[in-house]
Amino acid sequence: MQVEATVRKPLVTGGKTVHDVTNDICRHVEGKPTKLWTAAFGISVITLMIGLVAVVATLWEGIGMWGLNKTVGWAWDITNFVWWVGIGHAGTLISAVLLLFRQKWRMAINRASEAMTIFAVICAAQFPILHMGRPWLGAYWALPLPNTFGSLWVNFNSPLLWDVFAISTYFSVSLVFWYLGLVPDFATIRDRAKGIRRIIYGGLSLGWDGAARTWSRYESVSLILAGLATPLVLSVHTIVSFDFATSVIPGWHTTIFPPYFVAGAIFSGFAMVLTLMIVTRETFKLHDYITIEHIELMNIVIIVTGSIVGIAYITEFFVAWYSGVPAEQYAFYNRMQGPYWWAYWSMMTCNVISPQLFWFKKIRTSIAATFIISIIVNIGMWFERFVIIVTSLHRDYLPSSWAMFYPTIYDMGVYLFTFGLFFTAFFLFAKFFPVINMAEVKSIIKSSSEKTAE
Amino acid sequence: MSDVKNYVLGVYDDEDVLLKAVGKLRATGIKIQEVYSPFPVHGLDEELGYKRSKLPIAAFMFGMLGTTLALVMQIWMLGVDWPMIIGGKNHIALPDFVPVTFELTVLLAAFGMVGTFLVSSDLKPWKDPNLLDIRITDDKHVMAIDIASNKTMEASAIQKALQESGAVEVNEKSREE
Amino acid sequence: MKENQKTYWKGIEQLKNDPEFIKKNEGEFPEYLPINENGEGASNRRDFLKMMGFGIAAASLAACESPVRKAIPYLNKPVDVDPSIPNYYASTYVNGGDAVSVVVKTREGRPIKIEGNKFSKITKGGTNAQVEASVLSLYDKERLAGPLKAGAEIDWETLDREVAAKLGQAGQIRIVSNSVLSPTTKKAVGEFIAKYPGAKHVSYDPISAYGMSEANRRSFGEAMIPSYDFSKAKTIVSVGADFLGTWISPIEFAKQYAQTRKIHAEHREMSRHYQFESNLSLTGANADYRTPIKPSQVGPLVAAMYNAVAAKAGAAKVSAPSVGDVAQMTKAANELWANRGESLVLAGSNDPAVQVLVNGINAMLGNYGVTLSTERPVHFRQGNDQDLANFAKELNAGTVKGVIFFNCNPLYDSAEAGAIQNGLSKASVTVSTADRMDETASAVEYVAPDHHYLEQWNDAELKTGHISLIQPTISPLFSTRQAPQSFLKWAGQDVEFYTYLQDNWRTNFFNKQNDTTDFQMFWDKSLFDGVFETEGNTKTYELNEAAVSAAATSIAQNYKSEGGLELALYEKVGIGNGSQANNPWLQEMSDPITKATWDNYLTISMKEANEWGIELDEGATQLVELTAGGQTITVPALVQPGQAEGTVGLAVGYGRTKAGRVGNEVGVNAYPMVTKLNGANVLDVLAGVSVAATGESYRIAQTQTHQTYMGRENVIQEAVLADYQKDTSAGRWSPKIYKEGEYIKPSKITLWKGHEYNNHHWGLSIDMNSCTGCSACTVACQAENNIPVVGKEEVLNRREMAWIRIDRYYSAANPAGNKKELEEASANPEVTFQPMMCQHCNNAPCETVCPVAATTHSTEGLNQMTYNRCIGTRYCANNCPYKVRRFNWFKYHDNTQFDKNSSMNNDLGKMVLNPDVTVRARGVMEKCTMCVQRIQSGKLAAKREGRRPEDGEINTACASACPSDAIVFGDLNDTNSMISKSLQIEDRKEGEVVTERVVNEDRAYHVLEELNVNPNVWYMTKIRNKDKQEA
Repeated sequence: MQVEATVRKPLVTGGKTVHDVTNDICRHVEGKPTKLWTAAFGISVITLMIGLVAVVATLWEGIGMWGLNKTVGWAWDITNFVWWVGIGHAGTLISAVLLLFRQKWRMAINRASEAMTIFAVICAAQFPILHMGRPWLGAYWALPLPNTFGSLWVNFNSPLLWDVFAISTYFSVSLVFWYLGLVPDFATIRDRAKGIRRIIYGGLSLGWDGAARTWSRYESVSLILAGLATPLVLSVHTIVSFDFATSVIPGWHTTIFPPYFVAGAIFSGFAMVLTLMIVTRETFKLHDYITIEHIELMNIVIIVTGSIVGIAYITEFFVAWYSGVPAEQYAFYNRMQGPYWWAYWSMMTCNVISPQLFWFKKIRTSIAATFIISIIVNIGMWFERFVIIVTSLHRDYLPSSWAMFYPTIYDMGVYLFTFGLFFTAFFLFAKFFPVINMAEVKSIIKSSSEKTAE
Repeated sequence: MSDVKNYVLGVYDDEDVLLKAVGKLRATGIKIQEVYSPFPVHGLDEELGYKRSKLPIAAFMFGMLGTTLALVMQIWMLGVDWPMIIGGKNHIALPDFVPVTFELTVLLAAFGMVGTFLVSSDLKPWKDPNLLDIRITDDKHVMAIDIASNKTMEASAIQKALQESGAVEVNEKSREE
Repeated sequence: MKENQKTYWKGIEQLKNDPEFIKKNEGEFPEYLPINENGEGASNRRDFLKMMGFGIAAASLAACESPVRKAIPYLNKPVDVDPSIPNYYASTYVNGGDAVSVVVKTREGRPIKIEGNKFSKITKGGTNAQVEASVLSLYDKERLAGPLKAGAEIDWETLDREVAAKLGQAGQIRIVSNSVLSPTTKKAVGEFIAKYPGAKHVSYDPISAYGMSEANRRSFGEAMIPSYDFSKAKTIVSVGADFLGTWISPIEFAKQYAQTRKIHAEHREMSRHYQFESNLSLTGANADYRTPIKPSQVGPLVAAMYNAVAAKAGAAKVSAPSVGDVAQMTKAANELWANRGESLVLAGSNDPAVQVLVNGINAMLGNYGVTLSTERPVHFRQGNDQDLANFAKELNAGTVKGVIFFNCNPLYDSAEAGAIQNGLSKASVTVSTADRMDETASAVEYVAPDHHYLEQWNDAELKTGHISLIQPTISPLFSTRQAPQSFLKWAGQDVEFYTYLQDNWRTNFFNKQNDTTDFQMFWDKSLFDGVFETEGNTKTYELNEAAVSAAATSIAQNYKSEGGLELALYEKVGIGNGSQANNPWLQEMSDPITKATWDNYLTISMKEANEWGIELDEGATQLVELTAGGQTITVPALVQPGQAEGTVGLAVGYGRTKAGRVGNEVGVNAYPMVTKLNGANVLDVLAGVSVAATGESYRIAQTQTHQTYMGRENVIQEAVLADYQKDTSAGRWSPKIYKEGEYIKPSKITLWKGHEYNNHHWGLSIDMNSCTGCSACTVACQAENNIPVVGKEEVLNRREMAWIRIDRYYSAANPAGNKKELEEASANPEVTFQPMMCQHCNNAPCETVCPVAATTHSTEGLNQMTYNRCIGTRYCANNCPYKVRRFNWFKYHDNTQFDKNSSMNNDLGKMVLNPDVTVRARGVMEKCTMCVQRIQSGKLAAKREGRRPEDGEINTACASACPSDAIVFGDLNDTNSMISKSLQIEDRKEGEVVTERVVNEDRAYHVLEELNVNPNVWYMTKIRNKDKQEA
């Protein structure tokens, strides 16, 4: 059952014992917050507050505070939404898919990346709500609830409604998956803690006692959850891409969107995981658990997905040309040479060119380079969504309606808000939850230590 | 229920030793109450002779339920309760119903199964784990043998067997249950 | 509203203030509640229920988006005022020299919509933007509430006493007015003059046509302006006359002109229209051949035309300076001659000399009596520039002591503004009858505000023998008094003007008819019809040849081009002469040509633009300093394809300083640049014009910033007549999609069988050939559907709310060229207008994507928007290929930030709102409903009479406003409806089941047919009467 390439380097270095694992991970949870952490957390909260101003202004005055207009009805709002959802893919993907493939190297990173998934999806969820003209109604009218309009239900033909179901399902299942993984670790913390902490973590650990019978059930549950989460993770971005693919707008109406979006999502997701992992690794000194090996493996995933995305871009152009539809052809001409050429070319540079640097092992295994490129990739992925949404809308069928989109400070503020939200949540997690799945790591300590011994 | 049970506890710190030990002890006819581990030990359940869990079936059932609910809901709402002309499509436009159906299937399957797991393993926030050894959640595997259920053997014999099987320490403990 | 504390009358009684009403009004419930029926005051359960009922009714009323503030039930219901049932009154729109017979729609005693009067032989039910918008001017809170003395309120008695007294001593008195069309008012003025012998009536027009009447005096011995009949003209040559937009009687002309542009398989003929002009006018945009010329070429061109025609007619030529080679001139002349007797030559110039030559040409062509007639001269422009100039002199000389400015604003819109301003101080009594403190009113001592035309009894003689009655549709909102009444008062006559009017009709018109001998019957009929016709002018005229040669000489003197820059002032279709500048609907109406709102600007040719380094990008441009006639003003420049090189254009009617909150400081005032030529005020400045770029940037709020249609045949389909005559489907482009080895129609590729619309199936057909782009429909729609005005800033943000817009496309410089070149309009482009509103697609992309089913399809083929279900995701707007959906980005009603949206932000303005149409809340989507409220009421009316609605009895606001009948609305299921006929709809049946609906009219097409969204709106190809297609 534990088939592994023997050439593979140990996943945990430094000859750690099982007890060391417990100590190393629990220390952060139990100890006082470090200066570094406090500073980072403080900045996040401040960002959150600044962004909140923009959010309140938008809710109070109306969507008119943003730069949208009669021609460009979506811009930063949906761009940010898709961007965050995309980021929210890596976590579940890493834990679920890699679990199915028995990739044990995931164990060091799945906990944090699942947390990232959940927070990213929370950030994403802000936009569908905020971008509505009447969020105070839309927040629940989009659900098939009985209402005062008589037997008036929702429109199941609408991709937006599909989103509602896809995102909420994805979020809740990921949450369960993540929490289930936390239960044994909570138990560990519980048994080291005293007083109130003991009660809290005791509650969270659901009275876990590590009985073999429970463990065996637990294993099969996580395996099936993984089995369910995998198609789910693929379905989410597929459905998000339907928002565009099922429309009639040139540049949106594209059948390759589902695979192209999923690849993009994994691409940006892994990039974000890398960014965060590197930060966590340095702040919490987890070099023995998150090794260069991990980083290199993830960089390889980035080369692959990055290349898929690149091919998708080129395919789009080919199809536009081959279709012979003038509007379609103009849409893509306009992306490259229109008023938003800069957005298009930033996207190309960041997403297609920069990841190719990882072909060089030196870069692939360099923390600094990885950190920078992981950020560049996410910038590129933001531009991808911006290009798809804005350049397609601003010049569609009737030239009479062609217009430009200029973001306002409120567009930016709301984006900032979600950053604040994300990092505030992430730092809270990093402080109070075990950032590494102890139970799982412990199960590979033996094999690892033997390797180091050899 | 407040009857006190007395256990002989074998503490192991190596999962492979533990696995072998379980096999040996059961061969000698010792009834093992339960083995507690800080992390999943693969193959332990087979050694202890546990049956495969039926959770997958639960998951499947709940999934089917989701599919049915989703389809019934959509067809009834758009096709029966208030049919509206939307985009020139049929009132019941099945291709459009696929995504929601899929999502609800997964949702119910996942939640149904996890729910079943929590109930069947009796996991709940207010539950006291009542551990036999605090190190279970840290780095020790603990094998619990109920003396009462092993009438044929003396406690001392069991302890001996455990030591031979490679337990790093052996001790007796009684627990209220 | 702090600004005005007035209460508005809610019923005849309150108006009359009858004591009973007051008494009843003191109680909480003015309506007597039947509580005491069962004896001594003890109310019982049933009464309780009754009151509950009242309470609930009131509550539900108050539950609307904008709560009902004052609701006073009628004590005695006035006759024919039924709540929610509209009444229609025939009346006449009068604004200065412009007059149009209209029908006014009132609801609960409030005029809310102006429609054309179909009985009128002149406008035949057509309107234009200014007429449509005039109803909002009624509810303008800038209107004066009562008489003023030196800015302070006084009562009418005091005013009459003082004014009469002062006039008595004044001696020389002048009544200054624009053209007065009302015979009865003229009579009243006559009485005044009789009382004050020193008095004289001076009339002028902001946009003068004095040159024309003068020219006719010279040519025929009588100062008049003939009436034209474009419907009889095969060849139309217009030298700078914007007869479809602003010249003399545009609605009438548009109607006639359109008749000659309607073509179908059986009738493949249409008039050919040549336009020679400097600015690209609405008329020029519709011309088949348009040649840009400099203003200095106008005279020589007309002379050359004259000679060309004379040569053929064998008449004497005139000596004139050479015009150089002007494209199409000879061609035009030849065709004029070929179609002599069925042709028409016009000049917009106000230079009598030019007009004399034009008369000469028309005479030689034998057009008199056919395309233009002296039988019914028009009265729209009676102004005499000389008289006004003299008045200004006399005023400054101090000989004139009394001045009454009668509904005119010469301090703003006359060429003598400066002189009059200076002279006023010398007068002993100065009175204005302006309805607001405008530039003139604020410079005089007494203001005796006049009624709005919707508040008064009066009449107007549009043409000789064409009289149109004005009846009040609402009791005066303020303590105003109509001007002729004032004149009678000051003339010492204490007669109610209504009686005076009737008497005048009894004596002067009653006898001119022989349908009835009973005056009351005659009066009622005239009132019902709104129009009354007597025989016209029967005199015959001889053309005075001498005048022609004299004119030629004067042209030779005056039209010497120094080759410098030349300025052509013009009137905009929306704002016109600026008298309605405070009307936000007109300010925000996007100009048919430039698509700009809330501004006037210097239109410059591409050549000049390049020289001065100016470019227009998304409305961003530069301010330039324009110097002309010694005046210098700073104005934004707008690069205008079709602008004659070496010329610049500037619209008058802007730069008001005292129009009111909305109109003040919008644009710049160009009137001071009007110059004089042969004693007439002309809009052309031939010399001393210079422009200097300031480099200062400025943004013009345009609703359309992209010029061309990128050669997209799926949007615009056009052909030239020559080709159409050979093949009626010329210029048509029908997409075919490849499927399983064959090319098939997009409609054949679908997953769904679609739905049947068995009862009604509403549709529109739009003839791009007759649409002149005048934009009357857009304002009509705004009035009918409570569409908010968003102001310049929001238009700049591309958030205008228009439900129907008119897309204006220029032909590209290089249609064959690459995509970049396709984006640039050619220097003298062909222009196409395409009215664009919700296409009510039967396979609507917007409906599919709404998550909450807020937009769905009705069983009558309408795409419906459910405002109160909308959550505002804007997905529908994104997915609309026609981009016709509009979003409420902000709360536009009851919001001080949008106070320019006066129809929703003050109690007075709100009286114009159509009660049948919701005022949309913030955050919801909206769009064209095909006037569903009209459809419903039409269906109800028919249902009450137990019949089907007849074709034509239901009509959308846009269609009924259209002066050229380009928009046709109707039921596609009704085989006899106009729309079914014009589209030649044929239902392919298998037994009883309709399998396919075929449109057999070759010109009819769906915009973006390849998407198979299957709209209910059809467009008819644009056909230009050209010999061959030109790039």
